Amino acid sequence: MSDSGGSSSAGVDDVVGEVEPMVATYRHDVHKARSRSHEHAEDVFRGVRVNEDVPLGADHDAALLSRPRGKPERTLDAHESWFRVSLLTGEVVSTSGTVDDVDVALREVIESDDAGALHEAWLSSDVPAMFNESPYYPYTSLKFHTLLVAALLDNYRAGFGFDELFLAVSLRDAVPEVVPHRTVLSTAGFALYVTGDPAGRPAARLGSRPARSFADVWSRLPEFPFDVDASRRWRVLDAQLRRIRSWSVALQFIEEYVAALGPAVEDAEVVA
Amino acid sequence: MTVVQQVLFELEAQYFGHPYAVSGNALFNAIARRMDSGDARALHVSHGVFVPGEYGEFPAGTSHEGYAGKLGQSLPEVESCDDLFILRDSAYRWLLDSRPRDAHNAHPLQTHGDRVVFDSTCWFGRPPGQRNRRRSVSWYVHCYLHADSEDVLPLSEEVLDELRVGGGRNYGFGALSVADTQLVDLDALDYSRVTEAAELGEAFWVELVSPYVLESEFPGADSQSVPWWWDVDMEAPGTGSSTETMGGLRRRETRFVDGADSHALVTVDHGQVVGYAGSDPVGTAKNGVLRIGTHSRFGFGEFRVRPASDDRVPERSPVEGDGVVEGDA
Repeated sequence: MSDSGGSSSAGVDDVVGEVEPMVATYRHDVHKARSRSHEHAEDVFRGVRVNEDVPLGADHDAALLSRPRGKPERTLDAHESWFRVSLLTGEVVSTSGTVDDVDVALREVIESDDAGALHEAWLSSDVPAMFNESPYYPYTSLKFHTLLVAALLDNYRAGFGFDELFLAVSLRDAVPEVVPHRTVLSTAGFALYVTGDPAGRPAARLGSRPARSFADVWSRLPEFPFDVDASRRWRVLDAQLRRIRSWSVALQFIEEYVAALGPAVEDAEVVA
Repeated sequence: MTVVQQVLFELEAQYFGHPYAVSGNALFNAIARRMDSGDARALHVSHGVFVPGEYGEFPAGTSHEGYAGKLGQSLPEVESCDDLFILRDSAYRWLLDSRPRDAHNAHPLQTHGDRVVFDSTCWFGRPPGQRNRRRSVSWYVHCYLHADSEDVLPLSEEVLDELRVGGGRNYGFGALSVADTQLVDLDALDYSRVTEAAELGEAFWVELVSPYVLESEFPGADSQSVPWWWDVDMEAPGTGSSTETMGGLRRRETRFVDGADSHALVTVDHGQVVGYAGSDPVGTAKNGVLRIGTHSRFGFGEFRVRPASDDRVPERSPVEGDGVVEGDA
């Protein structure tokens, strides 16, 4: 069982042994990228301890942001794989051309003992984005699940409850800052944060409990991080984000959309 | 009697127009040219919201219960005011968890040169060698009409069928065919959820279903302020905290096309939620369906009134037996 139920009252040290909890968080789901369930996972990968429980229920809460509560069911016919299906293209994300050796590439997102370095590695890596959180929910993303777990745990450790958290977005036309563990998505033009302290950034509350609420929270933001008035391409992205409920699916969709269709080339303005 | 005619269109071709919705203005122009000009002057058309024709369960609070079949492919019978909105909120929280709901609800995108268009059908489950197992989801557009004079509605299927909306419509884009239509008398609907909440002294939310126009460059259109009965600082649904957002109401610019001219509009963007500071929630709920403000004839200013205990993300409400998510295979 990788998801500990509810908020754990166990001492942090008891749960994770000697590894710093934030470091352990970035390593906790590596078995998924090796197509193994938690039960069949190894505890050590390339000399690094992996597959440890995440304290304070952060893994459980992050899972509820992206997947339904309760016993999982297969949702996509004829798909039984840890490889992610792209919401943008409808195709299984392919390993060919992305990385030569997944195991070697994975090492880059787990080997450091510095939690901040691991956060930056996850934010910029394409490798964990090739995998889903669960073969039953193949559009979810291991990359963004892990970043959400880390953001929740960092906020919980700072004393914020879930109901005190916001989705915050970088200010328009400012270079997006990386806030350790709390930046959950970083593109060249903007960043998204899950944080109890928006620090003046436009922000909307996540609500009282973790749920697949991305569309709702996104559409209540007081400002978007990209200029929907200037480009139809941004409006198409925004329109899609008002429809997607799962958080890791939505964050992964933003990353893929910006890479493939981001409005670097201004599209001709056609009005209906 | 205040009658609205709901119309559900099937999207028959790729679409290249406003991505949030087919504007009420685009639908009005497509319909009005087939009508007597006097009747057309009396017609009001809502925005057309995109709906996937997919299996679902009726949302709590509606007058229906349980499994709903392919909810986006026909119009559910309307008995209460909540039933009016089943197909109006594009997050479609009624889609089944047992299916890839986000993939059903995100528009399938195609590119033509620099243009990103919405496809009319999304295909699923076609790994190599299993082409016979593929499955498709078709897209629909939901709008409703009302009129200033009594003998205008209902419009016949002949008038409504084979409309074309959006860019490239002379090249086959944006073709719509009528899938279903029905008349609803707003005065005969059950508003008991609103009246009971009001009797209990409960607060209300106003959910913006379409943008509300603040400024219009259209000749003769006055600027509007945010209505006094919107409480922007009210505690948010599903939160235990004091303010919903940090930064106030989001605005968005859009264009209003009138023949060869195009006018800029500044709007309060749809999808946002504000508190209700008025004293007549039932009357306000009806006004929300008939819309308020500048260009309301063409879809702007639609909103929904909801009791404050009614979170639009049902999973966020407390449940018994807070179970574990079992995601691992």
